[in-house]
Amino acid sequence: MSLAADITTAPSSARVSPHAVRGGLKAGQRRIGVLLLLPAAIAFGLVILYPFLQALALSLFEYTLETPAPRFTGLANFAKIAATPDVWQAFATTAIYVFFTTTGTLILGLAWALILNQPFRGRGLLRSMSLLPWVLPSTVSAFIWGWIFNSRYGVLNALLLELGFIDMPQAWLSTSTGAMIAVIITKIWLSIPLFMAFFLAGLQNMDREQVDAARVDGANNWAILRDHVLPHLRPVLIVVVVLGVIGNLQQFDTIYALTGGGPVRATAVLSVEVYRRAFEQWDIGFASAIGVLWVATLLPPAFLYLRMLVKGA
Amino acid sequence: MFDLSSTVSKVVFGLLLALIGLFLFFPLYWLIISSVKSNAELYSIVPTPFPLAPTLTHFITALTTGKLPMYLVNSLIASGSSAALNTLLALYAGYSFAKYRFTGRQPVMLFMLSAQMFPFGLLLISIYPLMSEVGLLDTRPGLILSYIVFALPVSTYMLYSYFSQVPDELIEAARADGASDLRIFHTIVIPISIPPIVTVFLYSFMWSWNDLLYSMTLIVSDDKRTIGPGLLLTYLNEVNSDWGGAMAASLLASAPIVAAFLFLQRYFIQGVTAGAVK
Repeated sequence: MSLAADITTAPSSARVSPHAVRGGLKAGQRRIGVLLLLPAAIAFGLVILYPFLQALALSLFEYTLETPAPRFTGLANFAKIAATPDVWQAFATTAIYVFFTTTGTLILGLAWALILNQPFRGRGLLRSMSLLPWVLPSTVSAFIWGWIFNSRYGVLNALLLELGFIDMPQAWLSTSTGAMIAVIITKIWLSIPLFMAFFLAGLQNMDREQVDAARVDGANNWAILRDHVLPHLRPVLIVVVVLGVIGNLQQFDTIYALTGGGPVRATAVLSVEVYRRAFEQWDIGFASAIGVLWVATLLPPAFLYLRMLVKGA
Repeated sequence: MFDLSSTVSKVVFGLLLALIGLFLFFPLYWLIISSVKSNAELYSIVPTPFPLAPTLTHFITALTTGKLPMYLVNSLIASGSSAALNTLLALYAGYSFAKYRFTGRQPVMLFMLSAQMFPFGLLLISIYPLMSEVGLLDTRPGLILSYIVFALPVSTYMLYSYFSQVPDELIEAARADGASDLRIFHTIVIPISIPPIVTVFLYSFMWSWNDLLYSMTLIVSDDKRTIGPGLLLTYLNEVNSDWGGAMAASLLASAPIVAAFLFLQRYFIQGVTAGAVK
């Protein structure tokens, strides 16, 4: 009897009111979905969200070695930023660093992807090896380039002297411009692989017939690149630029290991500035306030990125 | 894609290949040959393009006299544990986002992803006092937990993208057979998801292995120090710059991650780029 009732009620109720049955099923499903998410959500809240909100809040407090209990001071930290040209300089340094690293990586990463998209012998091996700079520990990248840029025994000076570009060895890492060039080149070098991988993935789903047809119509390589390849890569290009800007805005390890932000403050980008204020001078409130402005610089690319993800999903 | 039959195009292609290739690979070549040069050869004003008398002295010194082996083991423990933890968390979260519908699913997912924009350095400002308060400062669990910051959002998204492609019919069929949701996930979905799971593990392992900032700040005792700050403190500091040792130690520190990467790179690249290229 009960069995027969089950059999007859299930489909009939589904017909009369689909929400009755599906809603009931869904409620259980929903619970499981939330439970599965819970561990990650807790971890996320604990080590990402809570610290983030706390850092935002700390920007309104005086919190230093002398005042170990945070004291609310309103916008005083931001007023202090306005009165501290060193911090403005960190913003300018960051802008220079982000601009040159992103542009440099973009051009070289795209060129390298186009090259590795052509068929030639040894291409597979070259593709695999091209990813190496990206997987090396940041300290190792800094060591490699620190050694190349070394003023006394560095191979770069030797090479430039040999070629006649310079008359005497340059002390790259102890001049403002030299140090900036070194940290930018290091970052470009280690980011090319990632950019290249994105571009290669984009090139692989390109319509070959369209290119072949254009070729039959007499288009040369330059026209193919301009009219077909670049327009096709546009979405990838945007992703890569946005991710590149986000990554470069946050870069700390290679800069710190290579120059420590120096000489003096020449390569002190925001990440280094915040680190120094927080963990060398223990001015946590002030560091947090700089951090809040730092997050503000990240918002535009972050917004673009999220919008792309929403569209993609 | 391009037609390289003309001489001009051949020359341009070859030139670009050589120049960018040189930029990418010369530093790696220089790393390797510098690690096998003797000090006398390293510290000569005109560098030698090939090692005149290759020697393993720097490797032997790094492995036998310094603390490098200890740093490597510490890194292995910290990165391995945090990658395992991160993968486990992302696994369930990614599956939940992909296959369940509940209120707030999309906003929560977007919010977790947007966390990628929270600068790691800013988070550290509050992670430090937090860890200090709960007694996890200068401990391995504290560092392992903090490393979640690096990879959890992206890992969750990578697995979410993969699980979204698992056909619903597969799950529905098992459900019709009476299998519980967890059982379906563990016995049907996970076994067909090994490549992305490995990718996520490797991705988060790489982030922690390569970290300098967090380890340098959260770990004070030398006996728990990981390879990033370990290298920096040992080889290049105010009183000491042992470049030969630095190069040999760099190679040793890179070996595990490079080996893992070379084995799994195909999955790896697919996983990392899949999220963004649609």
